[in-house]
Amino acid sequence: MADPAAQNEALKQLLAACGRRDSAAFGRLYEATSPKLFGVAMRILRREDWAEEVLQDCYVNIWNHASKYSAALSAPMTWMTSIVRNRCLDWLRRPNLEVVIESEEDGGNLIDAQASGDPSPLDELSRASEARALADCLARLEAKQRQAVMLAFFDGLSHSELAAHLQEPLGTVKTWVRRGLMQLKGCLGTTA
Amino acid sequence: MNYVRNPELIERLAAEYALGTLRGPARLRFARLARENAATARAVREWEDRLGPMSVAVREVRPHRRVWKVIQARLPDAGGVWDSLAFWRNLGLVASGCAAALLVTFVLRDPRFAPVPVEKIPAPSAQMQPAYVAVLSDKAGKVVLLAYADRHSDELWLKPNEMQSIDSAKQVFELWGLPKEPGGAPRSLGLIPPREKPTIKLAAAADQTLSDFPALAVSLEPAGGSKTGLPTGPVLYSGPCLKFW
Repeated sequence: MADPAAQNEALKQLLAACGRRDSAAFGRLYEATSPKLFGVAMRILRREDWAEEVLQDCYVNIWNHASKYSAALSAPMTWMTSIVRNRCLDWLRRPNLEVVIESEEDGGNLIDAQASGDPSPLDELSRASEARALADCLARLEAKQRQAVMLAFFDGLSHSELAAHLQEPLGTVKTWVRRGLMQLKGCLGTTA
Repeated sequence: MNYVRNPELIERLAAEYALGTLRGPARLRFARLARENAATARAVREWEDRLGPMSVAVREVRPHRRVWKVIQARLPDAGGVWDSLAFWRNLGLVASGCAAALLVTFVLRDPRFAPVPVEKIPAPSAQMQPAYVAVLSDKAGKVVLLAYADRHSDELWLKPNEMQSIDSAKQVFELWGLPKEPGGAPRSLGLIPPREKPTIKLAAAADQTLSDFPALAVSLEPAGGSKTGLPTGPVLYSGPCLKFW
């Protein structure tokens, strides 16, 4: 992978060009970022057709709001990933969705396979320089807190889905998540 | 609940929002709060920055090529509109309502276009003649040109509204009909004379000349117009052309 700082800078410039309605820059932005963003959507939604629709909405959104993106606030990839994750979570709120998930028999297995997938997300995180601080702090969490936080982030699981998946009471899982997050904040604050 | 006076609660909700575990109506409420309250928005952004790097570990999956095609077709102002049929379709849907409104505000208030005073217009079918109306906008979506022709007339009336200023000794606006078929070549309808209320003499009555074109466009050409029969300069304005009965 290219140097993250250089990549960041390149994406910032592409976004700025999109803000000036440069459609060629938008094509390059899509080329550079869609595999990651589609991966994020696929992981949460677990269905290609849904992930495709979400991705389409998100890029239209990114184009429409590119001029409002402020590089001073967030890294471009963070900004775009948040757009995709939020759209995925909105998608999962659709009223008729539960029916579909129930009929999808391998849904649970997929989560298991990915949660215990190799190499572990934590290993991958610690190899990427821009994620190393976060990986170190995640590693310091209790195993159950870490698992709950990572399942929620990567797979888009809600508190009740986490409780079902981890086979723990809802209240316990909520506490793990909350404490995990606050410890992360404290840890990142000291390493930053 | 009074979120704003409780920074600890804001912080906790921002964390759960960014992580994704804040769900349902609570998520929507909190998103609304973040749009209205800068401190809340900042807390969310900080949490997105903290957790965002986790995405590094998500495996990349290249989306199918059709995804990009749909995205392109959904971007009206991204250029390349000549070969995007979906764009014209969408625009036509949106604009038919818009055109009807403009028909009233622009056309009927122009004495040339209004056979009867606006306030006395009865039901459209009783008095208004069937006609073609085109509403052309610039890339920012601002309406800059209205075109109107009675179906039996070969005279196309134009009403510019702050079109780009050009040196009319060297340049001219040329009006084009865009065909229904994807990839079909645009056809020149004529040059727009540099006047306040220009008209274009069509090759035949509007029913013959405009009925094939779901949209019109204006390109900037050298004085005398395009020599190639196709637009050679930038396409500045475009929009749907509709027949009103």
